[in-house]
Amino acid sequence: MRLEKCWFCSSTVYPGHGIQFVRNDAKIFRFCRSKCHKNFKMKRNPRKVKWTKAYRRVHGKDMTQDATFEFERKRNRPERYDRHVAEETLKAIKKIDKVRVDREARHHEKRMKGKKAQVQKEAAKELEQSIHMVKAPAVLQKEPSLTLPKVYQKQTEDRMVE
Amino acid sequence: MIQPQTHLNVADNSGARELMCIRIIGASNRRYAHIGDVIVAVIKEAVPNMPLEKSEIVRAVIVRTCKELKRDSGMIIRYDDNAAVVIDQEGNPKGTRIFGAIPRELRQFNFTKIVSLAPEVL
Repeated sequence: MRLEKCWFCSSTVYPGHGIQFVRNDAKIFRFCRSKCHKNFKMKRNPRKVKWTKAYRRVHGKDMTQDATFEFERKRNRPERYDRHVAEETLKAIKKIDKVRVDREARHHEKRMKGKKAQVQKEAAKELEQSIHMVKAPAVLQKEPSLTLPKVYQKQTEDRMVE
Repeated sequence: MIQPQTHLNVADNSGARELMCIRIIGASNRRYAHIGDVIVAVIKEAVPNMPLEKSEIVRAVIVRTCKELKRDSGMIIRYDDNAAVVIDQEGNPKGTRIFGAIPRELRQFNFTKIVSLAPEVL
């Protein structure tokens, strides 16, 4: 029994799931579900289809190089069954999974880092420039006490008074 | 799902290029043939200067189908074309080489010679 990777979306294919397509040059394409199979038949390139792992790796959304990936490399040499080794491997799998998930979370964080500050800056600018969409400028000038969003009230009030 | 009038590629070097299924061996009124079934076919296209000629009626065993082959383990395999290997009355292939991938199921159907000649057994 072997857990394969879907050729299109790179998710694991468990036994009993999916379809394998054998091309005439004996290359095997494994798919996890009919969604991937149909996309393949449509000749879509997984590197251009947004929800696949291939796209995410190519566009830097997920990390590409990491030591934890080495553990999942396909080994073609069959191992003699050793209960001790099997036990240790099962424990190691859990640990490696945790490490990999943590590293992916960190990668994600790093990617999203400047986002909050940027969003606030853009919001401030928009407030400044487009306040006429909310209240007519003439009205604001007449009665500066009319409420503006609290955070920037002081700033804009000063400007109105000027 | 091969039925009469289906054209099949030939996966060996027996001299035929394309076969058309005429009849499925097994039960009378059998509708479809799958991988491992023997069919009677007529040669539609042949390689020149070989023992097999066009319009000859031969028997063949189906080795690849576009219709999925289901295994007991839950694995489903689909090939890219419909292909057959020309055999004689005993079940031995007429050619000496097999081309393309062959599924393991042929071994259970006692086509061991074909399986042993195959470049890739899936």
